[in-house]
Amino acid sequence: MRIPVQINENSAEPLYRQVENQLRALIISGQLEEGTLLPSIREFASDLRCSVITVRRVYQDLENEGLLRTRQGTGTFVTGVEQEVRTRMGEENVRQLMNEMISRSYNMGWNRQQLEQLFQEILDTRESDS
Amino acid sequence: MNKTTAHHISDNYYMEDTDSVIVLKDVCKQRRQHKVGPLNWSLPHGCITALVGENGTGKSTLLHMLLRTLYPDSGEISWFGQTVQGEMPLELRQQIAYVSEKPSREEDRMTARTAGGFRAYWYPDWDEQQFGQLLQAFDVPADVQLSKISKGQRQKFELAAAIAAKPRLLLLDEPSSGLDPFAWKDMIIMLNQAMEQRDLTILITTHRMEEVKRLADYVVLMHQGQICGMQEKDELYQQWKEVWINPVQDIQTLNWLRECPGIIEWDDKPDGSVRILTADAQILQQTAEESGITTQVHGLEWEELLSCWVKDHHLKTDREARL
Repeated sequence: MRIPVQINENSAEPLYRQVENQLRALIISGQLEEGTLLPSIREFASDLRCSVITVRRVYQDLENEGLLRTRQGTGTFVTGVEQEVRTRMGEENVRQLMNEMISRSYNMGWNRQQLEQLFQEILDTRESDS
Repeated sequence: MNKTTAHHISDNYYMEDTDSVIVLKDVCKQRRQHKVGPLNWSLPHGCITALVGENGTGKSTLLHMLLRTLYPDSGEISWFGQTVQGEMPLELRQQIAYVSEKPSREEDRMTARTAGGFRAYWYPDWDEQQFGQLLQAFDVPADVQLSKISKGQRQKFELAAAIAAKPRLLLLDEPSSGLDPFAWKDMIIMLNQAMEQRDLTILITTHRMEEVKRLADYVVLMHQGQICGMQEKDELYQQWKEVWINPVQDIQTLNWLRECPGIIEWDDKPDGSVRILTADAQILQQTAEESGITTQVHGLEWEELLSCWVKDHHLKTDREARL
């Protein structure tokens, strides 16, 4: 199957981290279900136009986190993530994103009040849009 | 298990011998027009490595030395940990397959099937079944004279025959030169499949960026007879970025930004904006933002990446020469 991972070549974020973060999000959000067989390393690398070194690194990292399991001869599968773990990891992910956003905004001279205001505003617009 | 993965080689492209299929030590070769070498380099095992660089820079010379159809003037080459005196022993040569841009004329009057029969004689591990499957899967007529089939079909025959010989090392010298997009796509699929099926190492010379993107794990750059270095492909793509900064009034801040590490080109535009090529976009972006300057970061085109690499290599060697 085609794994919906998008690489942004104009980002300063290292490629393996882009792939890893997106794959992790797909697993935690349940879009890739337990037992899903992932493409082989060479196949995935060719799809993403990256090297096998990058994909191998991503698979290994996610295996260490317990999200993937590799069985010799058959391939790499998505493991079952318990609801509790899923919630916790999901929160960690969002927290990380927010932290990143906040530090970059502070760098650009924004303050807490401005940020809170904008955050509310964006949430409100989204709600009224949907 | 493949241990090559743990290596992150940028400046230090000399890997442990156990992980290398080929190791070159101070290899030199004088050609009519120019000198190639000294080359110090090793080819990582189980990966696809793309050898890139301008025409006439020594890539084919290097490949011919690896096939031992050319002998180096000095230095040492080892294949699978083995060095060779004089001609390459048959057992070693049988582990290497080679496809060049131009197929040899010797097989012109044979069909794919009969040519396969001859090759089976040279390669004891020849896989006739796979050879037949590849010809069929990629629409190569088995019973038409090779000189009468299309260029794309001929090249696919060459690749199928190289793969069916079950080599441990596959050397490809601009195999896609002049191929139409359909045959090219088949070539990519064939090579990726071959890598999946068994323990194989590929060294390929190419000028096509898309080929590097679709196939390569490592990239080696040659320039004026020298190897500038070898990099993991994704690190190479990530390494140099183009950063634009909006017009800044404050000269002092600008001068301060100029001191950021990794900058190899600084281009002031007439409107006061600046285009910078840098190996460390993150630091530059962060420093600029802290001073309230907005930046845009872009990836580079392949040609630009390679010229950055060459430039960086020259800067480094100049610096070393001065020390």
